[in-house]
Amino acid sequence: MSSITADTIPPNKGATNAAIMIAAPLVLLGVCLLSKMGIIVVPSGARGLIIAGLLISLFITGMPISIALGLSVLTFMFTMTDVPIVAVSLKLFTGIEKFEIMSIPFFILAGNFLTRGGVAKRMIYFATTLIGHWYGGLGLAGVVSCALFAAISGSSVATVVAIGSILLPAMVKQGYPKRFGAGVIATSGALGILFPPSINLVIYSVATSGMSVIGPDGRSVSSASIGQLFIAGIVPGICLATLLGAMTFYQAYKNDYPRMERASWGERGKAFLDSFWGLFLIVIVIGGIYAGLFTPTEAAAMAAVYAFFVSVFVYKDLKLSDVPTVLLNSAAMSAMILYIVTNAVLFSFLMVSEQIPQGMADWMSNQGFGIISFLLVCNLILLAAGNVMDPAAIVLIFAPILFPVAARLGVNPVHFGIMMAVNMEIGLCHPPVGLNLYVASGIAKMGISELTLAVLPWLLTMIGFLVVITYWPGLTLFFPRLLGM
Amino acid sequence: MFLRILDRLEEIIISLLIGGATVLIFVAVLHRYGSTVPFLFPYLHDIDMTWAQELCIYMFVWMAKFGAAYGVRQGVHVGVDVLVNRLGINHRFKVILFGLMAGAVFTGIIATLGASFVWDLSETDSRSNDLEAPKWIVYLAIPLGSGLMCFRFLQVAWTFWRTGDVPHASHHVDGIDEDVPALHPQGGLPAHQGIKA
Repeated sequence: MSSITADTIPPNKGATNAAIMIAAPLVLLGVCLLSKMGIIVVPSGARGLIIAGLLISLFITGMPISIALGLSVLTFMFTMTDVPIVAVSLKLFTGIEKFEIMSIPFFILAGNFLTRGGVAKRMIYFATTLIGHWYGGLGLAGVVSCALFAAISGSSVATVVAIGSILLPAMVKQGYPKRFGAGVIATSGALGILFPPSINLVIYSVATSGMSVIGPDGRSVSSASIGQLFIAGIVPGICLATLLGAMTFYQAYKNDYPRMERASWGERGKAFLDSFWGLFLIVIVIGGIYAGLFTPTEAAAMAAVYAFFVSVFVYKDLKLSDVPTVLLNSAAMSAMILYIVTNAVLFSFLMVSEQIPQGMADWMSNQGFGIISFLLVCNLILLAAGNVMDPAAIVLIFAPILFPVAARLGVNPVHFGIMMAVNMEIGLCHPPVGLNLYVASGIAKMGISELTLAVLPWLLTMIGFLVVITYWPGLTLFFPRLLGM
Repeated sequence: MFLRILDRLEEIIISLLIGGATVLIFVAVLHRYGSTVPFLFPYLHDIDMTWAQELCIYMFVWMAKFGAAYGVRQGVHVGVDVLVNRLGINHRFKVILFGLMAGAVFTGIIATLGASFVWDLSETDSRSNDLEAPKWIVYLAIPLGSGLMCFRFLQVAWTFWRTGDVPHASHHVDGIDEDVPALHPQGGLPAHQGIKA
């Protein structure tokens, strides 16, 4: 439905809707101000609802998410609490004054260097020599190279761009239908969120850290660390990659898509050595964090320096004169995410001071909600949110709300984080705002509605996998436990 | 002329901050492991790098504040534009303008609050933990960054008012042809850009 372009809508359509969209936040703001002045009395139970209403009404005007969050918090603080409003501006600084958060810009920078630095094409070549001779060879190679690239870049859009822009034209040339190729790449690219290093897992850890939450037995539950989440993401990531690969194979087998010639072991070895520099980054980041050599932020900084070194001096695909552009783009992207982080920190500060998560947790345990129904509700909420919002914002807004409830019901924090990540992956792959789809449609030059159909088999695979991840915590947790984390 | 200098300055500052912070942490890690090597120990032992972490945080906070302003100009701030894009062009215009003005109002308020906060702080002797830098200089990022961001929102709103164009971040990345049409096929508020989690 998003493929309807602006021109097909009559220019005067939606007069009432537009009026409502502008009036709703203003009316709610008015209510808040009147209650501040003591003209009307807002029962304390309704305060949360008014703020939630204000937030949602601001969201649907399409203004930046960070601004909508900030304005709601500001309104709330000013009209309904005695918290000095100067504290808000201070919180905008102190909210991101954590060293863990600083791994986000570093990972983004590393990802940008890798995307432009020729790492992707070497990985694709390596994957093609490995499994190109199977049914759907290039498609399978796409899944594998997406998984490999995801394991060094931390971002799923970067993965789609880096792999898709090289592999899609090659697949079309080989005689694959375009929609097959675009479907494989758009969905496999989403592995970036699950495979460590993942910016989204960092955000989850940051968003839930420092919250005091209580488990079902009354003892406090510590939130998941970045290192734990990274290690826990590996096994589900490999499982999902395998499933996507199996779906690719099945489709190719059914339709008898072309296969590549089998590569010799010599070629494989050569391709491995050539892509080794890129692959070694996995060892630096994951190994470095797990062995305790670096903190996650330090590992991210090392990854950025290493990616710069490899792109400019080893592969020489990036010119030194391009480096300022990479820096500038990374800075803009990081600033956008950090700006949402600051405002979301404000928002969760509000949630906690109003004790909304605790209230929800109490209500849920009183209603006799079990883990099963709670997790189902979580998934539905997150999938619905994935329809309209960007993954980083979803995690920042929903993790502080849902995590305390989950902990109260006895859900493991690490498991919950990975479940959220799989949800975000699905959100990236379906319209209307699935970012991967937009990127893939740009590369494949296909319309969004056509691409939506193209990704369907893989999307269903992912939804099936989500059910497994949700109700089988062991799959996520056994690997970190094996390593004693 | 003044605007062009401001634009360039903004870009240079945030690029230098992200690059500088990366080098800083890299050097700090090298230093930590370098000091364990007996040969290098005498040279490195006396250099104190404990402030690196704090400086890195401050550099990134400054980068985030100014980068957010740059982001307004580039249209990287994402919103929920599904509903807006279903409105006819005339009404969409009003809602988008409302959103941009709300952005200007919020950042304006924050800049004012931040300025008064920093003013009060400058009369105290509060200093940061490791660098021992005066706190008011560190926190100057809030009024300056938010003020600039407010200015950028007004600038974008003004351009939008006159021409009907908002900056759109393209998914501009190497490997995608220049002629690819807008990837977010709608108008409306800025689309996503580049690398994202």
